[in-house]
Amino acid sequence: MLQLTGLWMAVATFLGIWWGHVGVRWLEAHSADIRPPALILIVIGIALQIVSLFASNLTLSGVSSIVGITLLWDAFELYRQQKRVIKGHAPANPNNPRHAAYLAAANSHATTEDLLDREPSDPTAQTHSWQAANIKNQKSRVRKI
Amino acid sequence: MNIIGLGLGLFSFFIIGFGFVWVIRGEYYLGYLWWPYPLLLGIILIIASLFVSPIWSALLGITGASCIWGATEMKEQAVRADLGWFRRNPRPKPAPPLVEVIKKIHAPHL
Repeated sequence: MLQLTGLWMAVATFLGIWWGHVGVRWLEAHSADIRPPALILIVIGIALQIVSLFASNLTLSGVSSIVGITLLWDAFELYRQQKRVIKGHAPANPNNPRHAAYLAAANSHATTEDLLDREPSDPTAQTHSWQAANIKNQKSRVRKI
Repeated sequence: MNIIGLGLGLFSFFIIGFGFVWVIRGEYYLGYLWWPYPLLLGIILIIASLFVSPIWSALLGITGASCIWGATEMKEQAVRADLGWFRRNPRPKPAPPLVEVIKKIHAPHL
């Protein structure tokens, strides 16, 4: 018999983290005020810990605790996401009055653009600053000889 | 009362927290092209979880899922470093084994 406990925990953990990224972004972008959704997440998170305490088997107990704890973290993450939007590190939703205010504020860094939506540079390639530092190093070594 | 479930919840909390650390360090020192290796490690851990006692199975499952998620985060972390939101390593990073194959696969991102 295969031990399926771990597989269930893996699914709970993965979906917990997934929702913590995708769901939090969506909730923050569509809530005019993030306090009500944060409160709901906290209540569900605590309720799931209580479910976990009284669950009859390990799988149900573990899954509810894992999902509960990620939801509790998501409540905090809503505030962090709000900060990212203000800094322009996450795209603002102009249809959300709270985000519209960030976009309209003086000296605002908020943007509707998703700056993360691009390909990273090639990590194996030499950067210009590193190349320059290397050439400088070699020259000083030659001088010493 | 089932205290073990809460323990597993806390364990997943710390493993996910550790995920933030290794993704940042991994991208800094190795580069995002290494992403298939944590993915593979995660899959191996989850398969291993099928053959051990329930508690070990749970711990391996949680760790494996977190590894898989971390693998999908490495590319985005590289973009964050490119944008200057995180410290960017100016050194050329070591190419992972099978780098040419990896470059052809689109790095997963959710």
